[in-house]
Amino acid sequence: MKPFPILAALFLTPVLLCAAPPQESDYYSITTFNTPDGAAMEVGSIELLPDNKLALGTRRGEIWTVSNAQDADPSKVKYQLFASGQHEVLGLAYKDGSLYATNRYEVLRLKDEDNDGRADLFETVCDQWGVSGDYHEYAFGSRFDKNGDLWVTLCLTGSFSSNIDFRGWAMRIKPDGTMVPTCSGIRSPGGIGFDADGEVYYTDNQGPWHGACTLQHLIPGSFQGHPGGFKWYDKAPNMGPRPVLPHDNSRMVTERERIKELIPPAVYMVHGKIGNSSSFIVCDLSKGKFGPFETQLFIADQSHSNISRVFLEEVNGIKQGVVFPFLKGFKSGLIGGRMNDQGQLFAGGSDRGWGSKGGKPFDFERVQWTGKVPFEVHEMHAKPDGFELSFTEPVDERSAADPATYSMREFTYSYREEYGGPEIADVVPKITKAVVSADKKSVRLTIEPLTKGHIHELHLDGLKSAQNQPLVHAVGYYTLNEIPKN
Amino acid sequence: MLKTSLVILTGLIAVGASAALPETVTIRTLAAQMRYDTSDVIIRPGAQVKIVFENSDDLPHNIVFFQPGTDVVAVSNKQMEKPEEALKRDWLPDDPRIWLHSKLVNPKQKDELTFTAPDKPGIYPYVCTFPGHALTMQGRLKVLAPGPGLSDLKFQVYLGDWKKLPDFKSLVPHREGDLPGNLVELKFDDYRNQFGVVYSGKLNAPTDGDYTFSVAGDDGVRVLVDDKKVVESDGIHPSSEIRDGKVKLSAGTHNYRLEYFQAAGEAEIYAAWRGPAFTNTTLSKWVHPQAAEGSKIPKKDDSVGMPLVVGTEPVIYRNFISGAGNRGIAVGYPGGFNIAWSADQLNLALVWRGAFIDAARHWIDRGGGHQAPLGYDVFKPSTESALPFAVLASPDAEWPKLEKDQRAAGYKWHGYRLDEKRFPTFSYEWNGVNVTERFDVEGNAVTGNGRLVRTLKLSGKLPGNATFRVATGNAIQPVGNSFVVDGKFAVAVEGAALAGKNLLVPVRPEIKLIYSWPETLPQHASTN
Repeated sequence: MKPFPILAALFLTPVLLCAAPPQESDYYSITTFNTPDGAAMEVGSIELLPDNKLALGTRRGEIWTVSNAQDADPSKVKYQLFASGQHEVLGLAYKDGSLYATNRYEVLRLKDEDNDGRADLFETVCDQWGVSGDYHEYAFGSRFDKNGDLWVTLCLTGSFSSNIDFRGWAMRIKPDGTMVPTCSGIRSPGGIGFDADGEVYYTDNQGPWHGACTLQHLIPGSFQGHPGGFKWYDKAPNMGPRPVLPHDNSRMVTERERIKELIPPAVYMVHGKIGNSSSFIVCDLSKGKFGPFETQLFIADQSHSNISRVFLEEVNGIKQGVVFPFLKGFKSGLIGGRMNDQGQLFAGGSDRGWGSKGGKPFDFERVQWTGKVPFEVHEMHAKPDGFELSFTEPVDERSAADPATYSMREFTYSYREEYGGPEIADVVPKITKAVVSADKKSVRLTIEPLTKGHIHELHLDGLKSAQNQPLVHAVGYYTLNEIPKN
Repeated sequence: MLKTSLVILTGLIAVGASAALPETVTIRTLAAQMRYDTSDVIIRPGAQVKIVFENSDDLPHNIVFFQPGTDVVAVSNKQMEKPEEALKRDWLPDDPRIWLHSKLVNPKQKDELTFTAPDKPGIYPYVCTFPGHALTMQGRLKVLAPGPGLSDLKFQVYLGDWKKLPDFKSLVPHREGDLPGNLVELKFDDYRNQFGVVYSGKLNAPTDGDYTFSVAGDDGVRVLVDDKKVVESDGIHPSSEIRDGKVKLSAGTHNYRLEYFQAAGEAEIYAAWRGPAFTNTTLSKWVHPQAAEGSKIPKKDDSVGMPLVVGTEPVIYRNFISGAGNRGIAVGYPGGFNIAWSADQLNLALVWRGAFIDAARHWIDRGGGHQAPLGYDVFKPSTESALPFAVLASPDAEWPKLEKDQRAAGYKWHGYRLDEKRFPTFSYEWNGVNVTERFDVEGNAVTGNGRLVRTLKLSGKLPGNATFRVATGNAIQPVGNSFVVDGKFAVAVEGAALAGKNLLVPVRPEIKLIYSWPETLPQHASTN
C-alpha cells in the first residue's frame, strides 16, 4: 500500500469522530462489580433493604447482603453471606425486618434474630404448590403487591406438561400463607414485576404457544396462553370452569374471540431482535433520576445479555405497548434486577445451562444514567388510524414531517403448540401523513392499514433531532392487541 | 462434563515424545469416600512413569498394582485369613502377581513410585489392600501401544449461530493459527458460544489397511480424510456418543480434517483413530470417558465435581436428593455425620458418614436429577416415603406410606431455625401437635465412636395410641441398649419395642434416638 491514503485517513479521523453516531454508553453506564472469591454470584433475584443495602438471591441457593453498591467507587462494595443452602432463590421481598425468599417449593421468611448478619429463622410461609423433581419447574417470586400479597409464577414441567399441582400457573400468597390460584396459562416464566400503578406482569419465554418471548399482564382469573396446566382448574374452584382449549395453528387475535379468559401478551419481545429469553421486569419510579423514561418498564434478556424498554398503555381495557432496544453489553445472562430510588438499576444473572452473549458465567452489575438525555422515542400511542410518537428531544421538523422518514412492517406469530415460530402474515402499510406538533416533541403518523393483533415494527432511521442527531435506537415494536376507537 | 476419573499421559501417547523424563500422574484418595480420584490411567508400553500417591483421607491406604486378570478383591480379602501375618506386612498381600506397590500411606501423607511400564499391553488392576477397602478402592492401569498422532495441525475459527455444521469452505475464518501440541483442543477462551472450528493436519498410516476414525462432540463434528467424509455426528447434542467410521488407507501421509461447531452450553471434542498395527490413539486433548473401552453405552461419570466441605459449622443443602425426595434438606455436620431430612415426608430420610454431598449435578449446566450422598454407609432409618407418626389399628398393621408426589395428609411443614452453632431444628405440625426435631453429634463418625443424637419434642394434645416408628428392617437385633437394623446401623431409644418388621415407640413429649454404626458397638468390634 502507498503511504498517501494512510496519511489521508489519519487526518480524516477527527472529522469522523465528530460525526460518530450516538452510543448507548453516552447515556447509560454499566458498572460491573467484583464478587467474592469462590462464590458463584448467579443472581436470580435482587431486593432493596434498609440502610442502602441490597439482597441478592442466587441460583445456587445463597442470599448475600450487599453494602455500598450505590457508591460511586465500585471497589467499596461489600458482601455478607446471609443464608445458604436454599433451593434456588428466584424471588426476594423485604417487609418489616424479614426477607421473604421464593425457592423451588416454598416461600419462606428469613430473619436475622441475633443480629450477626446471618439468617437464623427459615420459616415456611407457603409450600402448597407441587414440585416433581424436574429441573425445569422453576418458581419466580414477586415483591409484595399493593394488597400485601406475594405472587409466584410456576414453570411447567418441561415445555408442554404439568405433572404436579399448579405447574403452569400464577399463584398469590396471602399474608397468612394461604395460596390462591390466580392465573393459568403460564409456560416458562422469567421474571415478575409491577408497573407504576402496581399492576402485575410477568415475562414468558418463546416455546409452545409462544412465537416469541412476551410481557404479560397477570389479571386474576385470566388464562395466559399455554393450556398445559388446565387440569388444575379442578383444584381451583375460585377460577370457575376451565376455559375452552385454544385451536392449534391459530392466531392470538382469533382465539381471543373464542376464549373469554385469554389475555393476549401486552408486548411481544420480538424473537432474535429484542431477545430470546426475557427475564426481569423493573419499573422506573426514580422520578427522573434514571433519565427521561419515568414509569416505563425495563425488561432484561438472559440470552442476549441486554435490557429493553417498554412503554405500555391501556386500549379498550387491554394492556399493550411498544418495546425498544435500550442497553446491551452486560457480562452474563441477566435474570434478576431492581432499581433504587436514586435511579440506580442493579442487575445480575448467569449463563448456566443456556449460554448468553455476555460470555461470563455470572455477573452483578449496575446501570446509571449519565445525565445526558438520549434522543429516543419516548412514548408510542396507538390511534384509530395510526400512532402518535413523542420524543425525548425536539425533532428536526423537515425530516420528522416527511412520511418517507418512517417505514413500517406488520407481522404476527402463529398461536400454536409447536415450539416458537416464524414471523408470519406480513403487511406493509402506507404511511400517508406525518404531522409534527407545535412543540416539536411529538409526531402523529397516519398509517393505512393498522392490523389488529399484529406487531407493528416501526423504523425511524431518517429522523433527526433539532440538534441534527439520529435516534439512539431507531426501531420499535408495538403489539396492537386493540385499535382505539377514538 | 467432569472427567477426573481418567488420566491419560498425553505426552506419552503423542508421537515423538521423549522417553527420557518420566511422565507424572497423581492418584489421590478421596476424603471419606473409600475411592481413588482416578480410576483409569493410560500409559505406553515401556514408558518411564512416576506415580505420586497422595492420601487425602483420614484412614491409611496403599496402592498395589497386579498382573492383568487378577481378582484383586479376592487377593485382598485372602490375607484376612492370617491377619497377624498381614499386619506385619502392613497389609500388603504376599502374592507373585504384584509388580508394583506403594507403602501403606498414613492420612495426609504421600508416596512416589517411579517405574518402567510393562512392555506387554494390557489392563493392570490396582487396589487398596487395607482390610475392607478393596471393594471400592480400585482402578485400572492400561498399558496400550499407540499409533502415530497428528502433525502440522492448524485451526481456523469461524463465528456463527448454527444448528448443523455449515459449509466452512464457503465461509471466511475469523482467525486461524497453529496447534503446536498437535492435539485437537478447544481453548478459544474468547468464544464460548456460537462458533465453529476446522482443524487440519497430517496423519501417517504405517501400513496399508483398514483404519477406524472415532469422533464425539458437543455440538456437531465431522471427520474427513483426504477430503472424504469418514464419520460425523452433526447437530446440537451432548458428547456422550462416540461414533466410528472406517476407511481404507495406503501406507503414507494423509490429510486429516475435523469440522466442529458449538451452539451453546457445554463444548467438547474427542477424536481418535486405530489401525492394523496399533490400538485406539487419541488425537484430541480431551479424552472421552468411554474412549479406552470403545464402548458405545453412555456411562455415568462417577468422579467428584463440587463436593461441599463441612467445616466447623453444619452445611445445609436443599435440593432434589435421592432417597429424600424433591424437598430434601441435606445437612452435613462437623465430624463426618450427614443426614437428609425430607420436607415431603416430614421425617429423617437418610443418614451417612464421611463426605457430605456433591453439588455438581445441580450446579453445573441446568442441574437436573436427584443427587445421592457423597459419603458411605448410607442408611434409611425408616425406608423411603414413610411418615414419622401413625395411629395404628394394631401394632403390626402396615405403616402408612406416601405415594409418589403425594403430600403428607395431616402434616404441615413450618421450616427450621438455626442455633448459635448453626445447627438446625426442624419444625412441623402433625394433627395439631407441634413437633420439633434436631440432631446433635458426639465424637467422629469416620475415625471414632461417633454417635448421632436425634431429639424430637412434641407439644400440644398427643393422640392416644399414637406411635413413632424408629426403624424398619428385615433383621432387627437387640444388642446391649441398641437395636442393630439389618447390620447397617444401630439405634438406641428408650421404650422401643419390635412389632413385626417395625421398631416402634409410643408417642411422648420427648423422643431421643442415638444412632451409631455397628462397628462402633463393643459387641460388633473386629467382626469386619
